[in-house]
Amino acid sequence: MAQFFRESAKLQLLVMTASVGSSRSRPNWLTSEHPLPWLLPASALMIVFGVYPLIAALLKTLYRKNAATRREIFDPLYNWTKIFEDPRMWDALWHTLLYTLIALTFQLVLGMLIALLLDSDRKGYGILRAMMTLPLVIPPAVTGMMFLLMLNGSFGVIARTIIGMGLLPTGYSILGNSTTALAGVMLAEIWQWTPFMVLIMLAGLRALPKEPFEAAAIDGATPIQAFFKLTLPMMSKVIAIAVLIRGVDLLRAFDYIKVMTDSGPGTATETLTSYAGRIYFGNSDYPLASSVAILTLVLVIITSTLFMRIFKVKL
Amino acid sequence: MELSRSWQIARDALAAFVTAIFMFPIFWWALNSIKPISAVFDKDRVVWFDFFPTAINYAVTLLGYSRSQLAIDAGLGMGVAGTEAYDSRSSILDSLVVSMGATAVTMMVAIPAAYALSRMAFRGRDAFLNWVLGQRFMPPIAIIFPLVITYKWLGMRDTDNYYLGWLGLMLIYALMNLPIAVLLLKSFFDDVPRDVDEAAMIDGATRWETFGKIVLPMAKGGIAAAAVLCFVFSWTEFLLALFLTSDIRTVPVKIQTFVTSTGNEWGFITALGTAAMIPGFIFILLVQRHLVRGLTLGSLKE
Repeated sequence: MAQFFRESAKLQLLVMTASVGSSRSRPNWLTSEHPLPWLLPASALMIVFGVYPLIAALLKTLYRKNAATRREIFDPLYNWTKIFEDPRMWDALWHTLLYTLIALTFQLVLGMLIALLLDSDRKGYGILRAMMTLPLVIPPAVTGMMFLLMLNGSFGVIARTIIGMGLLPTGYSILGNSTTALAGVMLAEIWQWTPFMVLIMLAGLRALPKEPFEAAAIDGATPIQAFFKLTLPMMSKVIAIAVLIRGVDLLRAFDYIKVMTDSGPGTATETLTSYAGRIYFGNSDYPLASSVAILTLVLVIITSTLFMRIFKVKL
Repeated sequence: MELSRSWQIARDALAAFVTAIFMFPIFWWALNSIKPISAVFDKDRVVWFDFFPTAINYAVTLLGYSRSQLAIDAGLGMGVAGTEAYDSRSSILDSLVVSMGATAVTMMVAIPAAYALSRMAFRGRDAFLNWVLGQRFMPPIAIIFPLVITYKWLGMRDTDNYYLGWLGLMLIYALMNLPIAVLLLKSFFDDVPRDVDEAAMIDGATRWETFGKIVLPMAKGGIAAAAVLCFVFSWTEFLLALFLTSDIRTVPVKIQTFVTSTGNEWGFITALGTAAMIPGFIFILLVQRHLVRGLTLGSLKE
């Protein structure tokens, strides 16, 4: 009997300490078993520096800035009607789309061709592939300056070469002429980011299974047939991801344009982002600049969502 | 696919040629940084190698020497004065501090988030992932104006307090780097077998302990790669620094101030530009293996 009581008292103690222990422990969502503490720092950063400024920018667009009194008056439709009636905005939108489409096409096609060329296990190709990645880490502002130097009509090495071939008149300024300025900026863009495509395409090519190609070769398929019937379809996911990432970056193009032409000559190379920047640096019209900036965001959201739906990609 | 010998040689030559074309701008840039001014600005021809190399551009931009003093010392008579504006030492310090700080903040915030996304099942996990990914798609121009106003209001602009200016730039860079860091780290944590930390947890370890003692050490290489990429992206960033700061001038912002209405100082531009490429080149060769994964936010592996 005494034995039994001793045992049950022990048990009682055990239960008590256990319950005391659990009631004294912190609530579940504060322990490391709950995702909240893990996600909190990242969420805080994204709320303070992502969500809050975005909402603030949206609210800003609802105000009209009075240039004379420098006051902001609530007038929800003012900026939006103003930018949609603004031919400069439409020009900027057109330049943005043109820049994105042309640069993306060049980067994709060149990237694929160069990847095919460099996809070899022979000696030395590893070094070539490593060299090919170098442009990716150059600050775009520096790349812009590089091409500004090389495209200079009187002493730039690229411009002199083109002029030397008789394709352009002597002393022609590629960036100073509204017909060729955008092409000049694109050259910098294409040079710096074709390696991005090369790198991703190479990763895709290296991951392809060997058997289908061996089978196709036995069946007498030419390399070109094998490329279009096997390589391309099997690489579609990789290509879609690369296009998505590059495309989003191209839609918000700014660095090269700011450094090389500052949207000029006139507004010949003005994109949505650089237009917003110009409004901001020009007359500090935050509300109007914000509307153009928000429009860039809307453009990115629409195109990327459409692209992801149509091509069924997920990052 | 087997190629005949002559075709193979042709391919090797073409591969080397294409790579050389892509290397040319870098080579040309570095070459111009050691040219004397007269060789850069020759109106009649493009100067290739027939010049006397000079280190004056590096001396002025990186070491803060005065060009006129250097000219007098070399016995060349009077040089052009007024080169103080090209002394870039403080810009390099700004860039280094901001990039390292931003990398530290990013990693502190991203590592726990990536761990939770990799290991825990909870409601809203996909929504959170999309939220993080959304930051990668957001044009920086859309958030920069309110941030400028807010920083001004808080007295956090570099014109109010230089150190707070550093902090402000670090924090916004951390946001910019967050999606790459979180998604890349998540993919590295996914590579660590779950059995390992499940076994540890059965033995009574808390989440925190399994994370610190097991997963973190096993993903060391991946964490280093993510940190390097964050550093490189912060080092090359231009737009945010341009809008947000005026006293602080990171290297990309500094370099475009060398373009002036009276003529561009190409010697200084190329010297600083060459110097600005070096850290990136070193780092990219270090993380070569993880580069594809990083650039595609963890969705493609090499």
